Amino acid sequence: MTHDASSGDPLSGFDLVAAGPQRSREGPETAARHHDVPPGNPTVTALRKQFPDAVFHNLICAGDEDVVYVDPGRITEILGWLHREADQHYDHLADVTAVDYGGGKPLEVVYQLWSIPHRAALRVKCELPLDALEIETATGIWAGANWLEREVYDLFGIHFTGHPDPRRILMPENYAEGHPLRKDFPLRGRFSRAEQTRRALTQNPEDYYAAGEIAGRVPQTVEVDGGDATGEEGGGDVL
Amino acid sequence: MSSRTVEYDVGRNPEMGPGGTLVASPAVPFDAPEPELGSDTMLVNIGPQHPATHGVLRLVVELDGETVVSVVPRLGYLHSSFEKLGEYRTWNQVVPLTDRMDYLAPLIYNCAYVMAVEKLMGIEVTDRCRVARVVCMEMDRIFSHLLWLGTWSIDVGAFTPFLYAFQQREKVYKLHEALTGARITTSATRIGGMMADLPDGWARGVRDFANNLPATLDEIDGLLTNNAIHAGRTQGIGAISADEAVNHGLTGANLRASGVPYDVRKDRPYYDYESYDFEVPIGCHGDCYDRYLVRMEEMRQSIHILHQALDRLPSGPMDVEDPRISLPSKTDCMSDMESMIHHFKLITEGIPAPAEDCWFSVEGSKGELGMYVVGDGGPKPVRWRIRPPSFVNLSAIPKLAEGHLMADLIVINASLDIVLGEIDR
Amino acid sequence: MGLDKPGILGTGSPAFLTTRLDFVVNWARRNSLWPMPFGTACCAIEMMASAASNFDLARFGMERMSFSPRQADVLICAGRVPYKLAPVLRRIWDQMMQPKWCISMGACASSGGVFDVYSMVQGIDTIVPVDVYIPGCPPRPEGLIYGLMMVQEKIRGESLANHAALRAEDPLAAGRPRAGNEEVTDLTGPFGNSTHQNRVSGLVETDAIGRAEDRLP
Repeated sequence: MTHDASSGDPLSGFDLVAAGPQRSREGPETAARHHDVPPGNPTVTALRKQFPDAVFHNLICAGDEDVVYVDPGRITEILGWLHREADQHYDHLADVTAVDYGGGKPLEVVYQLWSIPHRAALRVKCELPLDALEIETATGIWAGANWLEREVYDLFGIHFTGHPDPRRILMPENYAEGHPLRKDFPLRGRFSRAEQTRRALTQNPEDYYAAGEIAGRVPQTVEVDGGDATGEEGGGDVL
Repeated sequence: MSSRTVEYDVGRNPEMGPGGTLVASPAVPFDAPEPELGSDTMLVNIGPQHPATHGVLRLVVELDGETVVSVVPRLGYLHSSFEKLGEYRTWNQVVPLTDRMDYLAPLIYNCAYVMAVEKLMGIEVTDRCRVARVVCMEMDRIFSHLLWLGTWSIDVGAFTPFLYAFQQREKVYKLHEALTGARITTSATRIGGMMADLPDGWARGVRDFANNLPATLDEIDGLLTNNAIHAGRTQGIGAISADEAVNHGLTGANLRASGVPYDVRKDRPYYDYESYDFEVPIGCHGDCYDRYLVRMEEMRQSIHILHQALDRLPSGPMDVEDPRISLPSKTDCMSDMESMIHHFKLITEGIPAPAEDCWFSVEGSKGELGMYVVGDGGPKPVRWRIRPPSFVNLSAIPKLAEGHLMADLIVINASLDIVLGEIDR
Repeated sequence: MGLDKPGILGTGSPAFLTTRLDFVVNWARRNSLWPMPFGTACCAIEMMASAASNFDLARFGMERMSFSPRQADVLICAGRVPYKLAPVLRRIWDQMMQPKWCISMGACASSGGVFDVYSMVQGIDTIVPVDVYIPGCPPRPEGLIYGLMMVQEKIRGESLANHAALRAEDPLAAGRPRAGNEEVTDLTGPFGNSTHQNRVSGLVETDAIGRAEDRLP
């Protein structure tokens, strides 16, 4: 689109570029990230009242999104209260994810909640130091948290204690290069391409295909003899 | 809340109560005591290369005779690490990744991503852009539902609707191509606007498509809705109650089929969706058949929205008039020094975003599509997270398929409307 | 094919014809190619569009998509292939009967495309031998049809005289990469601007690797 940088604009184009994008509506300053903003959200007020020592601080992001930082040790208690309490009733767990800011900063676990009856959103965050990447699972509250937490474990290496099926979900079970979404993980992987290709082809598609494993009864690596398996492909053929 | 129950003149299975409660599961053929055969359960592997898994999904199924005891989906066969790749791209460079994630409704993903980034940066797009994006998103909702309809009908044993649906999809392909030059991988949006203004006559093309589609839908409706085979294979199959559906995180048509009228377009409206007149169809049994009905009705509602959006499509600029966000025109770039510099800065440096995070969800074709973007003051995302609707929807399949027959598992899987590109990311 | 011309099998002509064996074998092979659609991502949707009514692959004798590798002639790898899927692709290729051909459809299958990342195979030719590469992201249905016609052209040039040399398979090579280590390194090296896609803040060392299995070997 065409534009005329000189029409009625006191700043020259150079200044505008140097200044970066300006927020076109009222929003918090970027510096507000780590100090408290007075809570206007009724949930946040109630949460602070209910858990005065477990709610560390809260802020408003991107104009209208309430974020609460809570104690990771009491996360299920807080999430359970938010889910159960009739005034809150956050029945829809939209997302569980994590953020790695790099530079040795703690990893953030992010729970994005939504209340279908009250039409309210809340983001609950926990900061986990890199040497204690453990948090309690929310699968007891929302069944939908199961895979989301497995994914966070797979890609960030955060352990969810009490999780019914704590395995990798996207990467192969025997993936040896680490947790890919961490900032210290290189984009192209840790091993050379030749090694990655070799390792990939030594995987047997029939591994992890056994009666004990199917219900998650055997949580970690199971070595199965390829000949036992029957299936669509492979069907016992030794190629 | 303007939502209504889909009402079709269809006979229901008398064994199904309202709310998806199974009075007596049709999956269990008789109640006679099991003869003591001392048999074990059997494992059957479906996928990752199987025509009925809609991609490279792998399902390991434990069977007792022909009845599903448990299902373990195994994912990751299409893990393309979009989120990691996005951290190495500037905000605008991420856009081409979004449509490769859900290649069934690329424009919804393009729009959802830039809407999240614009919210993070505090950019208000122009009126024309808002309406144009609504047109794009509703068109692609139909686009995606049509593919679902085609593959769904193949999975329940009918081939003709696939050909009918693809004929209509070819029209959307042509509209995509006219808008962006690509048939699937559209990459149509940019932060603060669109890749280009709508081409001449494009709105008329969308209108033609919207006018012609109902006839095809009626035709497919006639082939499937009251078809005894179709109803028999889908009614009472894969039912889930409203509470359980919410608890499993189901969204989109899968949730609404269970009777929960949660639609992001109504509940947290964006882009003036509150001012469009449309209804949110909901089912009451929560089974595969209701999911089918809800999606059929959603397509009709989307056509309705398309007409309204095209009626109000304003003229005016498409991109925001801000040289720090939108690229200058080619003419300006070649003749005006300042525009040249803006162009250079935008291309080489990108647009910085504040050190904040932002969650934005839209109603995608598969369910609630959330985009979570975290900036650090620089021109690249620290984290770009997609709340993948079909990933969460698929996670309910062990619950849905339990106790049904093996053949029903294929139908249940088809009824969830998954796309593996977005499940595995 | 010349068979329908009057004078060859027309009225009054003898009920036989002479031709080269190569020609008739190749003619039969190339006009009833049964594709094994190994569709993973966006390209698979274009493959479906090719099979649907507007483009109609049936015109080329290829409408019979063979989802069983044992009954297929040409493997169409449509879409990106992550490392997790690589053994599956290799196994399907090994299961296919000779003579067989392979089409790499789209940028991701041919070279990794935009996905120069930890999880993606950088071109399926490191895993299986490829006959025809179709460029595009994704290729249009016309592109796929053109690629299939190129396979037909390739078949036209084959001869039974060197069949054994062309089609012999080493059973020990099954399940192994097609390319050697050096060749993989060569084929998958960064190209274009992908070497410049480093994120400065992302490369800061964090000493975050607390557990032994996360470390480099």
